[in-house]
Amino acid sequence: MSDEELAKDIGPLAALTIGVGTMIGAGIFVLPRAAISQAGSFAIVAFTLGGAIALLTAFSASELGTAMPKSGGAYYYVNHALGPMFGSVAGWANWLGLAFASAFYMVGFGQYIQQIFGLTATVGVGPVALDPVKLIALAGALLFITVNYVGAKETGRLQNVIVIILVAILTVFTIYGGLRADPANLPPTAGFSDTMAVTGIIFVSYLGFVQITSVAEEIQDPGVNLPRAVIGSVLLVTVIYALVLLTMAAAVEPGFIEALPTEQIAVVEVARILLGPIGAIAMLLGGLLATASSANASILASSRINFAMGRDGIVSESLNEIHPRFATPYRSIAVTGGLILVFIAAGTVETLASMGSVLHLIIYGLLNIGLIVMREAEPAEYDPDYTVPLYPVVPILGALTSLGLIVFLAPVAIGLSAVLVAGAVLWYFVYARSRATKQGILSQYILSRSEAMPDAAVSAATGVQPDGGNYRVMVPLANPENESDLITLASAIAKQRGGTVVATHIVTVPDQTALAGAAERSDEIDETSQHLLDRAREDAETFGVDIETHTIISHKSFEGIFDAAKSHTADLVVMGWGPDSHGSPGRAESAIDELTESVPCDFLVMRDRGFDPSRILLPTAGGPDSDLTASVAKLLQAEYGSEVTLLNVADDGERDDAEQFLETWAEGHGLEDSTLRIETGDVETAIERAAEDATLLLIGATEEGLLRRLVGGSLVLDVVDDVECTVVLGEKHRHRGLLDRLF
Amino acid sequence: MSNLLDTVLLPVASEDDARSSARALAEQDYGTVTVVHIIEKADGAPDKASVEQREQAAEEMFEAARAELGDIETDVVYGADVAEAIFDAATDRDASAIVVTPRGGNRFIRLITGDVALRLVTETEHPVVVLPDRTDETADTETDE
Repeated sequence: MSDEELAKDIGPLAALTIGVGTMIGAGIFVLPRAAISQAGSFAIVAFTLGGAIALLTAFSASELGTAMPKSGGAYYYVNHALGPMFGSVAGWANWLGLAFASAFYMVGFGQYIQQIFGLTATVGVGPVALDPVKLIALAGALLFITVNYVGAKETGRLQNVIVIILVAILTVFTIYGGLRADPANLPPTAGFSDTMAVTGIIFVSYLGFVQITSVAEEIQDPGVNLPRAVIGSVLLVTVIYALVLLTMAAAVEPGFIEALPTEQIAVVEVARILLGPIGAIAMLLGGLLATASSANASILASSRINFAMGRDGIVSESLNEIHPRFATPYRSIAVTGGLILVFIAAGTVETLASMGSVLHLIIYGLLNIGLIVMREAEPAEYDPDYTVPLYPVVPILGALTSLGLIVFLAPVAIGLSAVLVAGAVLWYFVYARSRATKQGILSQYILSRSEAMPDAAVSAATGVQPDGGNYRVMVPLANPENESDLITLASAIAKQRGGTVVATHIVTVPDQTALAGAAERSDEIDETSQHLLDRAREDAETFGVDIETHTIISHKSFEGIFDAAKSHTADLVVMGWGPDSHGSPGRAESAIDELTESVPCDFLVMRDRGFDPSRILLPTAGGPDSDLTASVAKLLQAEYGSEVTLLNVADDGERDDAEQFLETWAEGHGLEDSTLRIETGDVETAIERAAEDATLLLIGATEEGLLRRLVGGSLVLDVVDDVECTVVLGEKHRHRGLLDRLF
Repeated sequence: MSNLLDTVLLPVASEDDARSSARALAEQDYGTVTVVHIIEKADGAPDKASVEQREQAAEEMFEAARAELGDIETDVVYGADVAEAIFDAATDRDASAIVVTPRGGNRFIRLITGDVALRLVTETEHPVVVLPDRTDETADTETDE
């Protein structure tokens, strides 16, 4: 649809300038002095090395970006590949990393403003003396936070113009520098550890290429433009940085930079020597534009990370409320803004830069590992347009260099980052685990190969899985006959969903007996219950699924089930039905009026003739209830490798339509690999005929309510009785209006 | 006889706006309605919020409108210029009228958000019907202009 295309309005140049504009920020305008002072002429090596490390990750980010053009970028890939625990780490690191980087950019902005207006005196507020740079940084941050909060309109043209001006300023600077360069000016080279320490700090100058992937959904032809922009921006920026550093090292006499008074900015002073006052003015302007655009882009990017985290349940969705008038994610921006202000107030330039670097290096490391996981696990939907060269060398090197570089950064930054990572893991277990909606490809991969994988890996993967919002499968048990088959079905589903089985023994007592009276016979009840629930526990535990057991005393079996489903917040009820379950005669009739209401959660009703999920027949004509049976089929397939056959019964001459329908339906429900079967003629006999080959028939109810049809003697019931295999009927929970309930 | 409200285009900007606009329309005798939400694009720069996030918000608005109006057509439209996008949507759907309710807001708010409502009535090629928002009586003053 063309409207969808309109959503993609970022062309190749704009994509490139997002990367270049975000990267060229305070890093190159503020840090060269410290870099040259510490690493001498190896400052050039440090900037080049930083670019090389960024490039390795850029390859991986490009592949992941073309495979998953989703909002959230790096965080999204890590969460998707490695699961929500690492997702939590990546999300928090990405979010806070951007806030630290923005604080750093703003301090750089403050230095440039201070230079322009020549403010040197410290401002005393009572006993607290505040550095004017920090004050300006705080004011600047407040300005950019406000701009993003109210969502002032930014256009692609403005961004392109800013980036072109920046590149032009730096190009002229390096050309003049090149003319004056003299190898004799080069300061002495530094040792390995100094060079690496500088590389670590200046790595903050390379944050930004991944931001391109966070807007991947808005890029035109992302398969081509995204990798070009990501890799191209890193290459371009690396060359610019290396030449700028070369100029600064070789075009002025040795010792010039170290001799500058601290309030002067090295890049500006070198430009003054090379190009006179115009050079200094241009450089000052460049510094302002660069720091402002980087901070702006980072604030914008952080709200996308928040959105993606909220969507996956790692932070509260309320953080991502869109402002009714400004159409901005205002809460997210306000919180990020608050963090930026705190970081500016609390940190030094070096700490802010180091924190920005360390946190991003953690994400880049995880991103490369994520790529390896995606490649190894090969999920069906993973189909990147761009693939990294020299796999697996590039992502392995990318992960090792990113994580390895962290070692050389300031111990304070490493310690603080370690605390933040530990906090993010803790956050996952305390807050996010019960809310996270996604299971990572990694744990799916490990758990689907439980036999082949080392036990430690399996139990680790199980131990950190999200509990799926605690997906609860309730099994009402009436008698011992089919307890084992019901628990097996329930456990298989619970296991695949990372949920819990809730086994309830519902003890029915006649209406005449007061429930209190029944409770007095509790010893008797307890014994039967205990026996039944113990067996249920054993059966569930063979699956390694958590199980809870309860005994409920009720007058009516079905109503008891409904009440229990509500009070135990079940997401799914798996119950038996038929002559030999909930066995008292007359049960069905009495159930009619109880069950005309909609079910309180999803229901599966099993007519048990022995549980064997090897060949599943799933008749469907669409509708919400067959959505439920489809997901059950998919879960059983994942657990048992079942063969699934989809059946549609068509009228004569409409076979093609039916086939078309089944294909689309199968695709929409992730059951592409099933056999499609089209039958014609009478629906009932068609299903019966098809069920001859099946071991399990999975039927969705109709809109009218499964259980009513069950006792009404309609299609479903006849089929249930006539086929020879086990039948599972599914009815999906739906919110019914009053009218539906009355008629 | 052809009626002004035969085929209505109802642009909505937020969940509250969707609710009050839908409620205002529900009081009228209208034919069919298409509820649209315009996602403002930055035209080459990253948008104010991610497109997926805006689409999700649009769904919530449509849900709110559906609760008031029942059966409706919905559409998400992308455009760098919101007023322009509304006109295009009206042309594409051959709408008999664009229906809006006043959203209030002081001069400053309008200045920074751009006064879409004003542009709707000053630049339009389509009939624009402004319905009073009964949920907010103070808004009545905003309709005179």
